[in-house]
Amino acid sequence: METAKDGRAVRVAKAFKYGLKGITGYLEPTERELLRGLVDDVISMLEPQSSADEDPLTALIGLDMNVREPSDRALLRLLPNVMKNDGAASLEFRQLTERSLRETKIGALRATAMGLDRNDLVLTPEEARLWSMAFNDVRLVLAERLDIRDEADADHVHAMQDWSQADDVESYLALVYNFTTWLQESLVQAMMASMDRKG
Amino acid sequence: MTDAGLKGEERTDLAQESATDLLTAADVPWNLVIWNDPVNLMSYVSYVFQSYFGYSEAKSNKLMLEVHRKGRSIVAYGGKEQVEQHAVAMHGYGLWATVEKASSSGDGQGRKGGSRG
Repeated sequence: METAKDGRAVRVAKAFKYGLKGITGYLEPTERELLRGLVDDVISMLEPQSSADEDPLTALIGLDMNVREPSDRALLRLLPNVMKNDGAASLEFRQLTERSLRETKIGALRATAMGLDRNDLVLTPEEARLWSMAFNDVRLVLAERLDIRDEADADHVHAMQDWSQADDVESYLALVYNFTTWLQESLVQAMMASMDRKG
Repeated sequence: MTDAGLKGEERTDLAQESATDLLTAADVPWNLVIWNDPVNLMSYVSYVFQSYFGYSEAKSNKLMLEVHRKGRSIVAYGGKEQVEQHAVAMHGYGLWATVEKASSSGDGQGRKGGSRG
């Protein structure tokens, strides 16, 4: 796991905070556009491919007998095996649950994409929960693309904080990752503050 | 309208009761294991333990740190179906969760209680 450092990558957005109006935040149009693009990418990764030979009844009740363990590492991280050393049992479980897991994730991502339509953000507790899930999935995918395998890799990516250094795809992705990390951290802190206040 | 604090207390009790009920059945207990990864935020992992399981902040932080330092932690246990349901919920949150038979744990963690020191 990691501890979020600060969000030096982008200074325009304001950290989420908890106050009288609930959980609020502020994002510039370019930042919202960036996030919406990332969220849409993850949605398209998760949208199930319906095959022609699919049994409509099993599809209706949420089963997917044609499902396989994802070959893409990022997708496998989003949809992990439920057992460590039992591929057959994990596959069987996947057939029963993967479709609904994809739908849960897509639901959170869509709610976030829809909410990114204004600069001043005011989130209900449920919206905040969905946004934190969506940001997490975006970060998991970015981390796979950045090849973050251990804490040392994560630290290396963290060191990248200056947008004027973003001269290749990897450094650009690292900055985007750091921005999303900072945003998620501030959102989680605001959610914790709201839990404390009500407790 | 929410009352998160009170709800948290109630949910802790319920979670403990149902786990106990399941263990009295002639059923092999299963463990829900959360694995460390370099991406998930420590604050977020603790938040998920608090909000989903209804664990206290102290217990959630303890489990989170165990994941972080030891690479894994058993955060819940019970009947197979219940633990599998937790695993899907954890996958929904993006946590890396697996289930295992309590007795199959290679490092002697497979017993009642979930969070030993």
